[in-house]
Amino acid sequence: MTEIVLPGDRICAAEELARSKKVILGPGLRRENEQVIACKPGRLHHKEPNTYWVDNHQQRYVPVKGEAVIGVVTAKAGDIYRVDIGAHDQASLSYLAFESATKKNRPDVNPGDILYGRLIVASRDLEPELVCVNSSGKKGKLGVLMDGFVMNCSLNLARLILRENCPLLRELTKEMPFEIAVGLNGRIWIKAKSQRETIALGNAILAAENASYEEMPKICENIGNILFS
Amino acid sequence: MVTPPDSITMDTQGSNVVLQDLKLRQINCELNPLTRSDGSALFTQGGTCVLTSMLGPVEVKSQNLNIEKAHVECIYRPKAGIPTIEDKLTETVIRDTCESALLTMLHPRTAIFIQIQELDDRCGIEACAINGACLALLIGGVPMKFTIAAVHCIVDKDDKVVLDPDHCEAIGKRASFVFVFDSLDKNLVTVHTSGRFRMGQFNDAECMSRAASQIIFNFYRRIISNFHNKSLLTADSKARNTEVESVVKSEQMDI
Repeated sequence: MTEIVLPGDRICAAEELARSKKVILGPGLRRENEQVIACKPGRLHHKEPNTYWVDNHQQRYVPVKGEAVIGVVTAKAGDIYRVDIGAHDQASLSYLAFESATKKNRPDVNPGDILYGRLIVASRDLEPELVCVNSSGKKGKLGVLMDGFVMNCSLNLARLILRENCPLLRELTKEMPFEIAVGLNGRIWIKAKSQRETIALGNAILAAENASYEEMPKICENIGNILFS
Repeated sequence: MVTPPDSITMDTQGSNVVLQDLKLRQINCELNPLTRSDGSALFTQGGTCVLTSMLGPVEVKSQNLNIEKAHVECIYRPKAGIPTIEDKLTETVIRDTCESALLTMLHPRTAIFIQIQELDDRCGIEACAINGACLALLIGGVPMKFTIAAVHCIVDKDDKVVLDPDHCEAIGKRASFVFVFDSLDKNLVTVHTSGRFRMGQFNDAECMSRAASQIIFNFYRRIISNFHNKSLLTADSKARNTEVESVVKSEQMDI
């Protein structure tokens, strides 16, 4: 199920399926009366039983509720921090949205810090809002990212890395130890033992953008060979 | 499973347009020549060349803020000097045309910027700029209702309607038209005319342009397919440039 659609194309398969059962339309598709119309250019995907979406190479992040993103704290304003997540508007982050934070016990977050947070409010009419705790009040993997290096990539690459069956990170861990956080806003934070390794990691990840799953182990191996020979 | 846009339908009744006459100049395109914009395209039609880029949806200035829809802004830069009144008019035409194609209500309280840098004007710069802007918007991935294709037409000194002329053919032209069509039913989105012409000539020109717009729509589809089959967003600039070249080469179009 891979074909390219352009804005304005009708998706007849989805329309036909909709006559018999419920159909879920993902990003890039919208419904106009009885018609299903693409509104973004890209590859049309179909997942059984009833989901359709268009995968496109957008560069600019549009906040989506529940996504994990990497942001930079830009300001501290009263009870909230302003965080730049690369979207059209800065996200707000309450100082109480950290693990074991209370009114007296403020988290140590300063402008310039890198954060890994989850969007809990992302509506087109509202300012995006971040939290650094999960629903049970634990920080999990979220919070301030210390040291390391942040690089930008395309949104497509960020989604690709996080796909369950993507072998990239699995292969990279065979070569060297490192920490990584991938934000769906197209930012990747990496921390390796040395600068050399960080640069190598970054290059390996960026090179994976156009690689197929079969090529990825080769790229990782190459990087490993160059580094440790 | 995707229905392509309706095939070329031409109403040749009462006009002396012959289908074989429909020739556009060679179209070429390079995608994402600029790295820092959200989408950019280097678009050429014959000798006319523009560099377009788009940014958005991004933060909007408070005086332009619209709670219903995105604010669309177009900046047109001529080859040399500062923009003149005429360039400002072109800018407005492009802005309104693009806005009608964009689904601006999906991104309220944001701005979408379109920048157009004229590189070479060998006739038909306005049509070229609109087509380039449309490609940049497609690459940028902002939601759109349909794609748009602009076709330039003139009435030459012998009172003949000429489709997409180059600068030699356009010497002594009596009138010029720019028609913009949508990809759904080939309805007119924009008409921009100047000079003196008869209604019959206008209808001829519209008819020819409508049929010729299909060439541009086919080009969009091919170049977007290529883009998605082989993404050009590699970090390695060397690999990127060679890839771009090969794509551009394969995109040569003889019509």
